[in-house]
Parts: sequence; structure tokens; C-alpha cells
Amino acid sequence: MRLFASRIRLLATGALLGATLLGASACGGADAGASAPATVKEIAVTIKGRAVTPPPGRVEVAKGQKVKITVTSDVADEAHVHGYDKGADLQPGTPATIEFVADQTGLFEAETHEQELQLFQLVVR
Amino acid sequence: MLTLAHGIGGRQDLPIPFVAALIGAVVALLVSFAGLGVLWTEPRLAGALQYARPVAAGIRGLVNAAAWRWAVRVAGLLAAAYFCVGLLFGPDRAANPTAGVFYVLFWVGLVPLSLLFGPVWRALNPLRTLHLLACAALRRDPRRGMRPLPEGLGYWPAAAGLFAFTWLELVGPERATLPVIGAWLATYSVVMLAGAVVFGSGWFGKGDAFEAYSDLIGRLAPIGRNPDGALTWRNPLDGMAGLERAPGLVALVVLLLGSTMYDSLSNAPIWVRFIQESGIPAPVLGTAGLVVVIGLVLAAYLATTAWAGRLGGAEPGRTAGELAHSIVPIAVGYLIAHYFTLLLLEGQRTLALLSDPLVVGADWLGTAGWTVSAAGLSPASIAMLQVTVIIVGHVMGTVLAHDRALALFPRRTAVMGQIPLLVLMVVYTVTGLMLLFAA
Repeated sequence: MRLFASRIRLLATGALLGATLLGASACGGADAGASAPATVKEIAVTIKGRAVTPPPGRVEVAKGQKVKITVTSDVADEAHVHGYDKGADLQPGTPATIEFVADQTGLFEAETHEQELQLFQLVVR
Repeated sequence: MLTLAHGIGGRQDLPIPFVAALIGAVVALLVSFAGLGVLWTEPRLAGALQYARPVAAGIRGLVNAAAWRWAVRVAGLLAAAYFCVGLLFGPDRAANPTAGVFYVLFWVGLVPLSLLFGPVWRALNPLRTLHLLACAALRRDPRRGMRPLPEGLGYWPAAAGLFAFTWLELVGPERATLPVIGAWLATYSVVMLAGAVVFGSGWFGKGDAFEAYSDLIGRLAPIGRNPDGALTWRNPLDGMAGLERAPGLVALVVLLLGSTMYDSLSNAPIWVRFIQESGIPAPVLGTAGLVVVIGLVLAAYLATTAWAGRLGGAEPGRTAGELAHSIVPIAVGYLIAHYFTLLLLEGQRTLALLSDPLVVGADWLGTAGWTVSAAGLSPASIAMLQVTVIIVGHVMGTVLAHDRALALFPRRTAVMGQIPLLVLMVVYTVTGLMLLFAA
């Protein structure tokens, strides 16, 4: 049993070693992205007949980057960015903007509340 | 991933980097082959538990004391009553802690609690306690119902309950609102109590989805009971291997893994786009997606275990049930990878909200002022944790399957019989990593 236990430990160590290696490589990536560009990331979304243009996808920004979202909807609604809890009332046909600095990393959904449409996912690295 | 009431609490993990997923997959493969070839050539797990060490007498005495059991039961009742304050009397707003308590503290929180202490929900379950109290009031034996529990029922009721819960959590319309949570829980409680009235308290063990869930995960706890009931420290693999084959067990473990995989898939932009552009109502497509993903996980499992049985020369139809326990650590690894930050971040937020279930500005528990702290976790360390727990779960699953195969197959064909199982484990792990990479 002792032999068995030590082999298990060996396996676990191997797995952790692999994970650590990968952690190191992931860290390298994170450091490279840390220097945030000063430009504003502009994201424009149009909703017409429940269709979202451009279709929902991922938008990547660097941590600390300023984000400006413009949403134009054909019906009254409310746009919202999860996690950052920023929102804007949408009037039919009138573009509304949401602006904030993406200061926390993670994946955040932008959606509308009434029609329950996902607009895009904001990826902040 | 689950987004809670009305657009609050929306931070989700970054997709894990492709390199991380790739390294994870390669490590999983290498470790599997090492595990298979080198580890051991005889079945060793869950025998007489001769390697288990008894727990210190003090702890044993405490846990076995009737007063302790009642203290835990009363704690379960009090927690349920406190939960009902927000559910029944609180406003249906995002500041109400009910959804967070149900989906995060309870459902996700049961994973670490069970991993540490074993089948905790069995001890806490307020429905079990209510049944016990009612039987005491009527001077009846709680174990005796109107008829004996049918042998063939097994885990099927728990599997049905687990499907009902995961459907609510991942697909159900308005699932974070009070009427929906209340209606679901009321229905669930009535069915569970009715089952206990008909079949006696033995019904809860395999009939209650949350007890079965906590029991499956709790078998990986470092502490557990011997077959003779003595409390011992043990190798978690021994605990897991002690899970006995029963009707519905395969369905239960496959549901656990498949529903978590669907949760990842449903967050991928390609799936979101498909749902929004199809014009078919989201709950219909969501239900179909959940059923299809669980169906695929099940099909892969049944096909590979049947193939393994044929190559290994086992009794036909036995391998699927005998190997079900090896899927549990994989599902648990995936659950942790998927829900760790939800529990950490949403859990803190829910604890803060818990002080004020009526949303009147109260601070009953003194937690109202708590702010959510990320505890210094960087995206890289979260990704590392996710890949690590998936690999560890995979390794444990491989070892468990290997050990059982040695008992199941004649020695001559034992190695051949394990090749399909290895393929299955690697497919599950790579799919899991790929889903975390894509979603």
C-alpha cells in the first residue's frame, strides 16, 4: 500500500508539474498583455427584428483599456454589461452609448434585458 | 455559465489559453499510459479497507453522538428556514440572496463540503429531518413506509431529480426569479416527502438528487465509514471504489458530467448565435441542447464500456454499471474547474446579501458590508487550477477504471479490455479542456 501511495503521489506530482509549466507559460502571456494601449475600443451594435449585427461573438480588450459601446435598437430596451454593471436605456432608432474603463479581467456578457439578447462577450485580459 | 438575477454578478472566467488546454491534454495522455502500464497489476481498491486508519476517538465519539446528529439536523432546518424568509417574503429583486443561495452556496458549495467531509447533505437534509420529526410525532418507525423500496428503482429517482435541477439551472426561463425557484422547490419537496411516506426514509439515500450528488462526491472525501460503520481516514480512491453498482447509477454520473459540459457549450459564441438567430424559443433549443450533450456523453460511455467488455471478455452487460464510479472524479474535476470562481466570487456576494433577505437595509448576520475580493487570483492562476483539477480527476478516473478492469476481466485479456476505457477517459478530458478553451 505504501508503494501504491507513493506512486499515486508521483502521478499527482507529475500532473502538478505539468500544470505549473503551463501556468508559467500562461503567466508569460498575461505579462505581455499588461501594457494597455491608450486607444479607445469602440464597439457598435445594431439590433433589428431581434437580429444582432454584428452577430454575437467575443471582443478582446486589454486590461485598463477604455471601452465605448454604441447600441442602436429598433425597439425600446435596456442594454447592460454584466460584471461592470454599466447600462443604458435604449430608445427606438436612437444610438445609446456606454463608456467605461475595463479595469477587471474576465469574460463579461453584454446583453439587453427586455428582448434578452446577447450582444457580445467582452474579454478583458 | 449561470448568470444570476436581472443581470447582476456577471464576471466569468476567461477562456483558458489554447496552450494550457494542449499541455493539459498531453499530460493527461502521458499520465494515463503511465498509470495503466506501471501502476499495479492487481485490483487493490475498496477491499477490506485494511489500510484505512481509524479516526481519533474524540472525533469518533463526537460524530457518533446523538446530540451531534441532532445539532446538524437542527442546523439544516434553521438554514432552510432562513432561506425561506428571502424566498417567501423578500422582494423579487437582484438584491435578494435566494437565487445565489440556491444555485451557488447550496449547489456549488456542496462540492467542497462533500469533498472534505463526505455525504454532508444526508446529515443536513431538512426534508429528511421533517420526515423524521413527523414519524416521531406519529410514533412510527421512519424507516418503514407503506411498502418496501423496489430493488429496480435504484438511483433513477435521483437521476430524474438531477435532470430537473440542471434543466432549471441551465435552461429554465426566469430561473433566477422567486416564483420559479419557489415552485420548483415546492414540487421537489412534495415529491421527496411523498417518496419517504411511501417507501420510508431509505428513499432519500438514492431518491433525493442532492443526497445522491453529495454522496457521490463525498466518496472522494479523506474520511468515511467502513462497511462496519467505523469512521476512518482512507484513500479517497478506496471510498470511490466502494460505490456499488445500482440501477440508474450510470444515468446519474453521466448527467453530472454532461450537464456541466452543456453549461460550457451554452456560453460559446457559436451556440449563442445559433440560439438567437434560429427563431426557435431559447428554452426549447436549450432543452434540446442539454439532452443532446448528455446523450452524447452517455453514448460514448455505453459504446466504450461495451467495447471494453467484449475485448476484455467480461460478462455481457456488466461493464457499464461496474465502471460508473470511475466517471465521478472526472465529473467532479470538471465541476470544480467550471464553478470554482463562481463559488468564490458570487459566494462572497451572496453571503453579503444574506444579511438582508427582505432587502430593507438590515444587517442580521453582520455580513452586509462585505465586498467581493478576488483573493489575489490572476487569470493565469485560475486557468492553471482549472487544468490541474481536470487532469487530477482524469488520473483518478483512469486509476479507478484500471483497478476495476483487473477485477472484471480475466488476466489474459485485462490489458486489451482497458484500451477502450483509456480512449473514453482521454475523450472526456480533451472535450472538457476544449470546452473550457472555447467557452
